[in-house]
Amino acid sequence: MPMPHLTKRKWLLVNCLLLFGLAGSILACISLGAVPVSLAHAWDAPSLDNPDYVILFRTRLPRVLLAAVVGGALGVAGAALQALLHNPLACPHILGVSGGASLCGIIALIFAGTATTGLSGVWRISLVSLAAFLGAVGSMLLIYRTALNHGRLQPYALLLTGVVFNAFCGALIMLVNSLVDFYQSHSILFWLMGSLAAQDYLTVSAIGFYVLLGAGWLVGQSRRFNLLSLGEESAAQLGVDVEKLRRGAFLASSLLVGAIVSVSGMIGFVGLIVPHLLRLLFGADHRLLLPASALGGAIFLLWADTLARTVVSPTELPVGVVTAMCGGPFFLYLLRKEGRKAFIR
Amino acid sequence: MTVVLVILLVNFPTWSEQAAGPKPKRIVSLAPSVTETLFALGAGEQLVGICTFCDFPREVERIDRIGSYIEPNVEAIVAKAPDVVIGVPPNSPEAVAALQRAGLKVVIVQVDTIEQIEAAMRTIAREAGRETEGEALLTDVQRQMAAVQARLDGAPQRRVLMVVGQNPLIAVGSGIFLNELITQAHGVNIAADTNQQWPRLSLEVAVAKQPDVIIDGSMGSEEKDEAQLFGVWQNFPELPAVRNNRLYGRRSYTLLRPGPRLAEGFEEIARLIHPERFQ
Repeated sequence: MPMPHLTKRKWLLVNCLLLFGLAGSILACISLGAVPVSLAHAWDAPSLDNPDYVILFRTRLPRVLLAAVVGGALGVAGAALQALLHNPLACPHILGVSGGASLCGIIALIFAGTATTGLSGVWRISLVSLAAFLGAVGSMLLIYRTALNHGRLQPYALLLTGVVFNAFCGALIMLVNSLVDFYQSHSILFWLMGSLAAQDYLTVSAIGFYVLLGAGWLVGQSRRFNLLSLGEESAAQLGVDVEKLRRGAFLASSLLVGAIVSVSGMIGFVGLIVPHLLRLLFGADHRLLLPASALGGAIFLLWADTLARTVVSPTELPVGVVTAMCGGPFFLYLLRKEGRKAFIR
Repeated sequence: MTVVLVILLVNFPTWSEQAAGPKPKRIVSLAPSVTETLFALGAGEQLVGICTFCDFPREVERIDRIGSYIEPNVEAIVAKAPDVVIGVPPNSPEAVAALQRAGLKVVIVQVDTIEQIEAAMRTIAREAGRETEGEALLTDVQRQMAAVQARLDGAPQRRVLMVVGQNPLIAVGSGIFLNELITQAHGVNIAADTNQQWPRLSLEVAVAKQPDVIIDGSMGSEEKDEAQLFGVWQNFPELPAVRNNRLYGRRSYTLLRPGPRLAEGFEEIARLIHPERFQ
C-alpha cells in the first residue's frame, strides 16, 4: 500500500490544528446551552447559590469535558481496532465488550438504581457504572479466551466472537427488559441510548486520566500498526511481535471502551466515521491517524452532544441519535465520493 | 296487541336471563389498573386471568397469569374463554389483534388523564355488569380527592420536579394524570412546558427552574424522606428542594396507578409537596 511520507512538520501541524480546534470547541460549547447564562456573573460569584455558576460549572462544564474524553476514547479505539482487525467496518462496539457492559449495567440499574459504592473520593462510583465496567472486563476475558486459537489471536475469530457475543447480550437485555415493569423498562431503554449528563468532576477526571493512559499506549504502538497494515507476515519479518501487538491492542481498546460505556452508554458512529474521515484527509499513517482520531473524536462528540442538549430544549435528544444522524449520511456520502479509497487501511 | 307482542318478544331473553340471575361475565385483565378497578368494583371473582404486573390487591395471587403487561399470551387468554378482555394502550397491538381474530371481545381503555381514568372506570364497570358499583366507586374517589384538596386550601404554589430516571433525567411532563395531580396539589410541574408525557429533561433546565420539591422515583432509590442527598442531586445542595428538605426518593410509582387508588396517590403527592398541611 502506498503510504506518503509523513513529515514531522505535517504531524505537528495537523495535531496542533486539531488541538486548537478542540480547545475552541470546548469554549464554544460551554457558552451554548438550554438555558442562557452569564459567564461573567458565574465567574464573579462562584458559589452554589448562584444559579449561573451552578448551571455552568456543575452541569455544563463536566458534561462538555466528559463528551471530549468519551469522544477521544471512541475515536482512538476505533482507529486502533480498524488496524487490528484489518476491517474497515470495525468500531469500538464491535468487540462485544459493550454488549457485556450494557447487560451488567442494566441489571445493576434494576437492583441498585442510583446507589453508589458508598466510599469516598474517586472510589465513590455509581453501582451501575461499576457493574458495567466489571461486565466489560468479564466479557473481554471471555471473548479473548474464545477467540484464542492455538495461542494465536486471529482477527476474524475476534470479530465473529465479538459480533455473536453482542447479539447474545442484546437478546439477554431484551429478556431482562420483558421481565421488569413498565417504568423500569423505559429507564433501561433510555440508559441504553447513552447520555453524557450527570457526572461530577471527580468521575470525569478519573475517566480522563484512564483514557489518557489507554490512548497513550495505543498511540505508542502506531509504528507497529503501520507495519501490521503491510500484512501479518511482512510485519513479522520487519521485527513486529504480531501476537503481542494484537493482544495488547485488544486489551487496551477493550478496557477503554468498557470504561466509556460504563459512564455514557453505547454511543455509536464516533469510532467508525472519525478515523475514516481523518484517513481520507491526512492519509493512513497511524502515527498521525491515532492521535488525530482521538482529537477528532473529541471534537465530533462535543458538537454532537451540544446539538443533543440544545436543539429541542428544554428537553434533550439522546446523543447517539445525533451522532448517527450526522455520521450515517456523511459516511455514505464519503463512500460514494471516494469509492474504494475510503476503505484504505 | 301486535305492539305488546313485539315488545314481549324482544325483551323476552333479557327477562329470562334476569329471572335466572345473569351469569357473571368472565374477564381477563391485561393491566394492573384494570385489575385494581375490578376488585374495587367487587368484581374480582369474575377475573379468570391477569397480567404478571398485576400485584394489587393481595387476592390477585389466586388468579392465573396470562402473560406480561407488554406482551400478553394470546393462547393462554383464549384458553380461559373470557367474555371480555380489558387492556390499556401499551398492550401489544399485535396481541390485541390476534385476540380479536380469535373472536374475543377486547376493550382497550385510555388512562392518560384523570378524565380518561374516570371514563375507564365507567367502561370497566359496564363491561363487568356493575354500573351501580361503578358510579359509587367514582363518587368515592372524587370525595376522597376533594377531602385532600380541602386540606390544601390556600396553600402556596410550589415548583415541582418529578422524575423516574436520573441519567438521563426522565421527568413527568404534561398530558398525563401525574401532572394533573401535581397541579391539583398546588404544585407547578416545571417539566409541563415540554408538552411530552415523559420528557428527557435537560438537567440545566431542571436546575435553572429551581424546584421547591423533587420527587425522585429512579429505580432502586430508597424510600427517603427528609432529604438525604443521593445520586445526581449531590451536585446541587443549594437547590430550594434540597435546602428545604423536600427531596424525596420514592422506590417506584406503584401507588400512582391510573385506577381506583388515584385518590391515595393524590394524597401521597400532596403530602410530599405540602407536608405541613398533613401534620
